[in-house]
Amino acid sequence: MTQKQKALSKEEEILLQDFSRNVSTKSNALFYGNAFIVSAIPIWLFWRIHFMDLLTSSPLFLIITCLSTYLVSFAYKKTKFVLKHKVAVKREDAISREISKMIAEDKKMNKKEKDERVLWKKNEVSDYEATTFSIFYNNALFLAVVIGLSFFLLKSFSPSFNYILSVGLSSGLIALLSTGTK
Amino acid sequence: MDNWLKICIVVVFAVATTGNEEATPAKLLFSKQILNKYLVEGMDIVIKYSLFNVGGTAALDVQVADNTFGPQDFEVVGGQLKVTIDRIPPGSNATHVVVIRPSKYGYFNFTAAEVSYLPSEDAAEALVGLSSEPGQGAIVPFKEYDRKFSPHLLDWLSFAVMSMPSLVLPYALWYSSKTKYEAIMTQKKDK
Repeated sequence: MTQKQKALSKEEEILLQDFSRNVSTKSNALFYGNAFIVSAIPIWLFWRIHFMDLLTSSPLFLIITCLSTYLVSFAYKKTKFVLKHKVAVKREDAISREISKMIAEDKKMNKKEKDERVLWKKNEVSDYEATTFSIFYNNALFLAVVIGLSFFLLKSFSPSFNYILSVGLSSGLIALLSTGTK
Repeated sequence: MDNWLKICIVVVFAVATTGNEEATPAKLLFSKQILNKYLVEGMDIVIKYSLFNVGGTAALDVQVADNTFGPQDFEVVGGQLKVTIDRIPPGSNATHVVVIRPSKYGYFNFTAAEVSYLPSEDAAEALVGLSSEPGQGAIVPFKEYDRKFSPHLLDWLSFAVMSMPSLVLPYALWYSSKTKYEAIMTQKKDK
């Protein structure tokens, strides 16, 4: 009875993980780290091309980078959650085939254990692919919108205003787009 | 007799008019032009001085001097601000070009240069004249000009290099996983 309960709770745990919007601490660190790096990259453009002074503009750079880091990591999490389920559906067959191949010689393993392992692997692979694609997709979109805004739409604005609007609006836009369900 | 009279009248007129032309002293028209479209701090400005002799005699010992560009604000990088032209024949022109470089930015009033010349060979006093004035011009800071016109190729290249890890790495990781599981599916279909 106790073992059954344990087995059920393990399966429930995996299912909960699968459907949960919460990310692990490791994923959180990965998201915030990537978001910080990508939010800091536009500072180079504004320093070298728009000739913003690094020292005098450093408080502004810090505030906007922090805001952008939060919004970009928000976008990563939301996008990852949406993608994870799509990836899980796509990879289900391939993963169960892979697991079957791996445990073919292990005759001690029963069907339930095999299903658990497939579920766990499916969660892991879909989490991995969704995370990496979410980071790539949001980074590309963020940088493209920053360049489009700062060098085309907002080029006649003063450099400080240009920076606030282009980075702020880009991170806001990707955060907004990530809340879509499709 | 009639023909002879006509010839005499023509000769008298010719002598009279020739005598009148030789008497017209030299008269110089002097213009000063800035050939640049943009005036930028630390970048060359080309000034063209043009002298036109509209008088009947050659202008002699023509001395052009432009004292409007102080050494604290401008550096002469080509030509000279004071030149002497020995002679400008009647009906002809002379030009002189100077290249200067402003060391400061801001509004600058481009005023007239001076010219002095002898209007004829036996003139006792030189005539002094002023050129046209180009007027006020804005010398923009180099930063603004560079921001507007420089291609910043090296800066863009550096940006591309900095952005690559954020884009290429996640994509490569996703792609390797994707191809691995798609390969498994392809193998299954083949079997």
